[in-house]
Amino acid sequence: MISRKAFLKAGGLALFGVSMGGIPTFLAEAANLVQAPGLFKRKKILVSIFQRGAMDGLMAVTPFGDKYLQDARPGLMMSAAKSENQKPLIDLDGRFGLHPSMEAFQQMYREKRLAIVHGIGSPNNTRSHFDAQDYMESGTPFSKGTSSGWLNRAVGLLGHEATPFQAVSLTSSMPRSFYGDMPSVAINNLQDFTIQMKGNPAGTNRISQSFEDLYDQTSSGLLKQTGKDSFDAMKMLKSVDTKNYKPSNNAHYPNSALGNSLKQIAQLIKMDVGLEVAFAESGGWDTHFNQGKDTGVFARNVADLSNSIMAFWSDMEVYQEDLTVMTMTEFGRTVKQNGTGGTDHGRASCNFILGNNVNGGLVHGTVQPLAVENLEDGRDLAVTTDFRSVFSEVANRHLLINNNKVLFPGFQGKGIGVMS
Amino acid sequence: MKTTLKYFFLPFGVFIMLIICSSFVIAPYANPAFPYKGAGLTQRQAAAHLLSRFTYGARPGDIDAAIELGLEKWFTQQLKGDLQDNSLQLMLKNYDAINLSNSEVSKIFPNPGQILRMAIKDGVIPKDSVAQSGKKDYRQQLAGYMKQHGYRPQAELQRQLINQKILRAAYSNNQTRELLTDFWFNHFNVSLTKGQSAEFVPAYERDVIRPNVFGNFETIVLATAKSPAMLTYLDNVTSSGTPETLPQAAKPQQKRRIGAQAGMNVEDSTMRGKALAKLQQNKKVQGLNENYAREVMELHTLGVDGGYTQADVTQAARILTGWTIYPMENGYGSAVKNLIERIGEQNLEKRGFVHDGDFLFAANRHDIGEKTVLGRKFPANGGYEEGVELLKMLANHPSSAKFISRKIAVRFVNDNPSQKLVDKMSATFLKTKGDISEVLITMVSSPEFWNKEALREKTKSPFELAISAARTLNAEIGQPYQLFAWINKMGQKMYSYQAPTGFPDKGQYWINSGSLLNRMNFGLALASQRIPGIRINLTALNKNREPESAEAALMTYGKMIMPERDLSQTIDRLRPMLNDPDLQKKVEAAASKNTVAQDKETMAGETSSMMDGSKDEKVAQASVKRNQGKVQTIAGSNTMLAQVVGVILGSPEFQRK
Repeated sequence: MISRKAFLKAGGLALFGVSMGGIPTFLAEAANLVQAPGLFKRKKILVSIFQRGAMDGLMAVTPFGDKYLQDARPGLMMSAAKSENQKPLIDLDGRFGLHPSMEAFQQMYREKRLAIVHGIGSPNNTRSHFDAQDYMESGTPFSKGTSSGWLNRAVGLLGHEATPFQAVSLTSSMPRSFYGDMPSVAINNLQDFTIQMKGNPAGTNRISQSFEDLYDQTSSGLLKQTGKDSFDAMKMLKSVDTKNYKPSNNAHYPNSALGNSLKQIAQLIKMDVGLEVAFAESGGWDTHFNQGKDTGVFARNVADLSNSIMAFWSDMEVYQEDLTVMTMTEFGRTVKQNGTGGTDHGRASCNFILGNNVNGGLVHGTVQPLAVENLEDGRDLAVTTDFRSVFSEVANRHLLINNNKVLFPGFQGKGIGVMS
Repeated sequence: MKTTLKYFFLPFGVFIMLIICSSFVIAPYANPAFPYKGAGLTQRQAAAHLLSRFTYGARPGDIDAAIELGLEKWFTQQLKGDLQDNSLQLMLKNYDAINLSNSEVSKIFPNPGQILRMAIKDGVIPKDSVAQSGKKDYRQQLAGYMKQHGYRPQAELQRQLINQKILRAAYSNNQTRELLTDFWFNHFNVSLTKGQSAEFVPAYERDVIRPNVFGNFETIVLATAKSPAMLTYLDNVTSSGTPETLPQAAKPQQKRRIGAQAGMNVEDSTMRGKALAKLQQNKKVQGLNENYAREVMELHTLGVDGGYTQADVTQAARILTGWTIYPMENGYGSAVKNLIERIGEQNLEKRGFVHDGDFLFAANRHDIGEKTVLGRKFPANGGYEEGVELLKMLANHPSSAKFISRKIAVRFVNDNPSQKLVDKMSATFLKTKGDISEVLITMVSSPEFWNKEALREKTKSPFELAISAARTLNAEIGQPYQLFAWINKMGQKMYSYQAPTGFPDKGQYWINSGSLLNRMNFGLALASQRIPGIRINLTALNKNREPESAEAALMTYGKMIMPERDLSQTIDRLRPMLNDPDLQKKVEAAASKNTVAQDKETMAGETSSMMDGSKDEKVAQASVKRNQGKVQTIAGSNTMLAQVVGVILGSPEFQRK
């Protein structure tokens, strides 16, 4: 059973005590232990963002001097040189250029807090969205039957006591990454975390109290414990005005699915409810048709991605030290543009890792000149870094998990130095 | 003293057990006898328990009916699963897509990508307008194109699929068949989340799972292996032999292509399995795909500890090469289609092909070499039959007997069934060649099914919770999809579990702090008529008698909703809520309103009968409106009652079965 000993640190507790006038059980338990030094050391938080649909890594972070790429993508290629009619790529290192709509990332990259891994992907060469996402999220690229997701196993390996909010996915249903035995929460909107009786506030309180009593008395240990957790969590969220949340630093979240998810993750973090592993999604990356250049659908997507992440980062101000944000996508897209101004399913893509302990300001990994003979199956950017190398390194270094055999069964590779 | 007595009776117990067991061997179906008395249950308690496990919840009167029939007889009747379902069939009449064949589905419900490609090909949509995919006229163009060709969106197919499942679960008289359909679907899981298999899911449940839920296990294993849904979901559809193992007849170009892929340069040898993966899953690349072969052993038959090795998986995969889908219009297998046209349908059999409904054994893709699985040799040139032999061997393997028996016991007894029970069930499994009905009878005839480790020990899944709530209240489900929205919110997106494992069948999976409040809210919403299209009549449930007090209501409805449960704690806990003076006032105020509303209703009825035919529709509409008004007033008048019922549905006791 989950114990909630380590639920809160003093700040959240105080906030709660003032607004509610009564302290829920797990907070009271926690309060008794507050004196013990070190117990409430703040935990590290990993925020994973899955870009569903397969992001074109070659457009997000373009090896702009590659003449093969220029030939393969006459209608999609951008230049790092300034020109009148289109925004130039942001030159990162003389070789790679960041898409202009990801301007928000530039400063972080220059401050060496943003790392990029290029040529990342799965050893399994499937080009099916479903299969590739499944393999990436289960963390076992050659086994479909793995019942758990890698993030759920990561939670299991944290090796300390949990709160009901230890693992939260801001999605309407449980993502594959979270499948497994460790309790985790999938919720679309924090405001749903309440007893709902439309237009009857007095009734709501009474009913809520009735439910709480019933669950407190039940003989089923599971229902009793989870009931307690749920009501404690509900009161906790009630004490904060989630609806009229004001981000710190005047951070401005895009009004998008990802922006809203990250905003709610930020609220949970600030409430100190014990969040350690968070998950969010971003969609629309399957750009078979007219993906555009400095404007268009791809540009909008990367703008949303980078602006959402940067809003989150600046909103998090004092928590930045505890945070790592990592993006992932199931595969990349063809080197050649297709007949409809887009790109088709490919192999390697790139990902972004943000945090104060990231080995940033670098494009990690290997991208060879995109001549046909260097391409996987003669058409795609080759996978040169197994996604598990990067995921495991982030988990090892940031969450201090040290059992990669459990985290990624069958994987024997090593990290590539994305964390400092 | 006590101890001595116990040991004294022990031999008798064993003796009786032996008699019971042997009686099954001789006449398995004839006279099962359920040992609930030994567990200290009354017949009524036993009936409540039996129905809680083998129906989606008892409706008012169901327990009495089962007692009248006799529990054993009720159960054998359910295992036949052939009771008339006329009213259900009437409700399902509106769902025109659920009876379509796979081929018809692929014709009428192409996936969005296919539609777009066709529209562009036909010049209806210019290529460069696709970037505006959010724009209104673009969507209209596309909708017009679909209408013109009679194409319908796949979302509609999925909606019908979901709705029919809800209606069947709620209203079928063959409750156990529906439960087992859910169980076996989940065991042989396929998912709407995989676009390639989504369109085949309705026929999969209808033709592959539902008819086979009580039969021999090998039948359902074979049926799933040959189904388009499974073939695509676990990728066997493209699996083929390697060049040196393909029959001579295979075209040289094909061999060359495969050979080129296999010999491809692998620059990073540290990536284990990469070379193999190169052969997999790329549509253009043929080769061996092990996914299905692995999961059929790990998840469908032997279980992960069933004693097979990676070599067995590879060999089994080789045996199943060429198991694919017969080409469909707008569907799969254009390459195969050309081949069949060349050979001629009438010559397929001669060439070793097997065409069975949607299934095709493509002999030209089959690995003709010798294989060995689990120590058994499959000689070269075994063709289609060796695959059948393999699956039968797996289905009847002792490991499968154990694995399947345990899984059934977990579903119907408790999350951690005793080894003793599982052993009994797997003995029956082996003896009867995997007769699922017999295994179920053995289970229910065992004391373990009835003892206190089993009673109320299972947690309802969100689907079971929603359906049991609807059944216990005799709800009219006008809009099943509204229930689906709640079921999804409570954590069970039906037909969309991504992994081939299916939804985990244990309480811990369903109950977490994210989902539990939603369960309570569901109870409140249902009872207070806040779920659109789901109608209940609480007073009618009590034969239109208004309970004389809030506490009486609690007792009456508590007993009705949770028959044969100890409700004393629930009632004690809820008493303070009922004694709230505010609530009493509201009840009185609302009661007076209710009378008025009913009077109006009567008058409306009379008026409408005097109207002439031309205005019938309008009148009907008006009457619907009035009826809605009435329902709401009744619900309002019974705020107290609705709250009581809502809390009972959301209570911990109702989450258990």
